[in-house]
Amino acid sequence: MPEGLTGSLAQLPLGDLLKMLGAGAQTGRLELTSGLDTGDIFLAGGAIVHAESGPDWGEQALFRLFSWPNGQFRFEPGLPAPDRTIDRPLEILLAESARAAGEREAMRRVIPSMDTLPRLARKAPAPSVTIEAADWEVIALIDGQATAGAIAAELGIDDFEAIRRLYRLRLSGLIDLAAPQAAPAPVRQLAGAQFFQALTTAVAAALGPLAEIIIDDAVEDLGFTRATLPRDAVASLAERISAEIRDPEKRVRFQQTMLAMLRQQAA
Amino acid sequence: MEKELEQISTVPGVGGSFLCDNRGDVIVSSNPAVLATVTMNTIGREVGRAFVALQAAGQDAPRLEFAYNTWRLLARDIGDAVLFVVCQPAADMAMVRLSADVVIGSWQKNAAAQKRLQRHRAERSALVNRTALDHGSWNSWAIIQSRGS
Repeated sequence: MPEGLTGSLAQLPLGDLLKMLGAGAQTGRLELTSGLDTGDIFLAGGAIVHAESGPDWGEQALFRLFSWPNGQFRFEPGLPAPDRTIDRPLEILLAESARAAGEREAMRRVIPSMDTLPRLARKAPAPSVTIEAADWEVIALIDGQATAGAIAAELGIDDFEAIRRLYRLRLSGLIDLAAPQAAPAPVRQLAGAQFFQALTTAVAAALGPLAEIIIDDAVEDLGFTRATLPRDAVASLAERISAEIRDPEKRVRFQQTMLAMLRQQAA
Repeated sequence: MEKELEQISTVPGVGGSFLCDNRGDVIVSSNPAVLATVTMNTIGREVGRAFVALQAAGQDAPRLEFAYNTWRLLARDIGDAVLFVVCQPAADMAMVRLSADVVIGSWQKNAAAQKRLQRHRAERSALVNRTALDHGSWNSWAIIQSRGS
């Protein structure tokens, strides 16, 4: 096995990669990255013996890593595992992972978003019902207002665990799930005439008497007029105008002024 | 330099920022650090190489933005180093870019900051060599260079 084997999980899926390392009876650390997420899988003589990913370790971490749709890997041969948290053979872990992925997909079909609103069912599904203690914690928070995401946050559990509990409750007929209601479009505050007065002064200091024309062009490029420019587009406007300022010192001074104005608006 | 990074952190949606030299070593980072040092090193080194590759391919870019599901990363090239700002997806990136520009502008006028940057100075192109890259990356680099020249 070459030193520091690297590659993309999109080209060589994690399952196939582990099978290959297993067949070669490799020992070492498989380092995985996906965006800013990272994880490690340790092998000893081809067997997976330990995995870490975020706060998880052992099989839970391994299954989390299997769920990554893409990422990069790097294998460092020879590195010993810091711990031994996985005992089951690779074939069983892969089967378990495929089952967990199928289960996740089924759950996602029932609870497609963390904005889903759970409600207690009007009628009990059976004369007597057994509820797991973990699921009871969820029931206690269902008030017709709390979304799946809010319940997860309140209980301090991750999205996947919240979805798993809600899915169980839905299957047992104890809750109904409502699609998330579209939130009304937020009213965008306008930049206003006072802002344009201050902006004109700042642009004139940097670019001279054409300030008004430059501002109007930049506002128009953003798809607004002075009367309709929202506050949340002010930073984009400042960026466009600062690109017109060739003198580096004047540009930084203009940017400082704009930043101060933006901070004032935000306060 | 720490003070300027604190200013960036006050922009809504910004988690933190850090400055890496061209080897990927962290020169300064917001406190508390937004990422593990080893992660900052890796990001610094890889993005530094990306800037060299872009330059060699005739696509000089002063900044790069990386958008992930739960993160956004602004990388602003300042020649001897790269300033990184880690943001939430909802951050107003125009304001983040503006803040980064202001911070860089103030470092350019600050003798102490310049001295600190000089201490970490390393030519990027000298850091991209056969021993520093894996086989595939080295081949890619050779192709980029041949097309750029």
